Amino acid sequence: MLASSLIRQALVPMLAGYLLVMATLGFGLRLLCRPKAGDQHGRGLTAGPAEGPGSAAGSRPNWLALARHVTGTAVGGYLLLMTVVIAYYYGVARVGGDFIKSAFTGTAMLIAIALPLWGAASWLTERRRQRGNDTAGERKAHHP
Amino acid sequence: MNCGEVKVARHPLVGYLVWALLFGALFAWEGLSLARAGSLPTLSDAFRVIMRYPVGRWALFALWLWAGWHFFVRGWHFLLRA
Repeated sequence: MLASSLIRQALVPMLAGYLLVMATLGFGLRLLCRPKAGDQHGRGLTAGPAEGPGSAAGSRPNWLALARHVTGTAVGGYLLLMTVVIAYYYGVARVGGDFIKSAFTGTAMLIAIALPLWGAASWLTERRRQRGNDTAGERKAHHP
Repeated sequence: MNCGEVKVARHPLVGYLVWALLFGALFAWEGLSLARAGSLPTLSDAFRVIMRYPVGRWALFALWLWAGWHFFVRGWHFLLRA
């Protein structure tokens, strides 16, 4: 009884999660090691510049595109986790203690706390970077 | 508790051992790839590739949410015990 509940509630989901993570990582590594077109060395382990809406060095970030990118990621990740949680609850073990409610509200609360903090930190970092660039430009203009 | 619901199985020692093993394997891979720079991709290389794709970003965000939910919401009795 104890062993079967352990296997059903803990070991199977843990192994399934581990296999999913490893499969995702393996897929990433496979892409990483695939020879690029025109690459003389064949292996592209060194990743190129970061991709994304706010990655253009030296240019002002596109805040709208960044917000859309982050919102899409957060909503997609949230829905994916809720799908897994519901599948776990109805397919593996009907865990008590308001499991589903806790999953929906707890993760939403985490997003509600983390995203505004992340947005504020990004905005402050970008503002500091822009001020640094402006100061450097003014110095160059005064001392060519 | 609703009819048919079960309590979460509490087997901390086995759980901690399995998690320690999994994280040990992960850190071993990272250490090996950092020590043999260039021959093995590091985890950040792999994550960078995965994050190019929306589904990969969703999976990583879901993983982050799940960890946060478990540590700070589900397990708050343990973490925030006075």
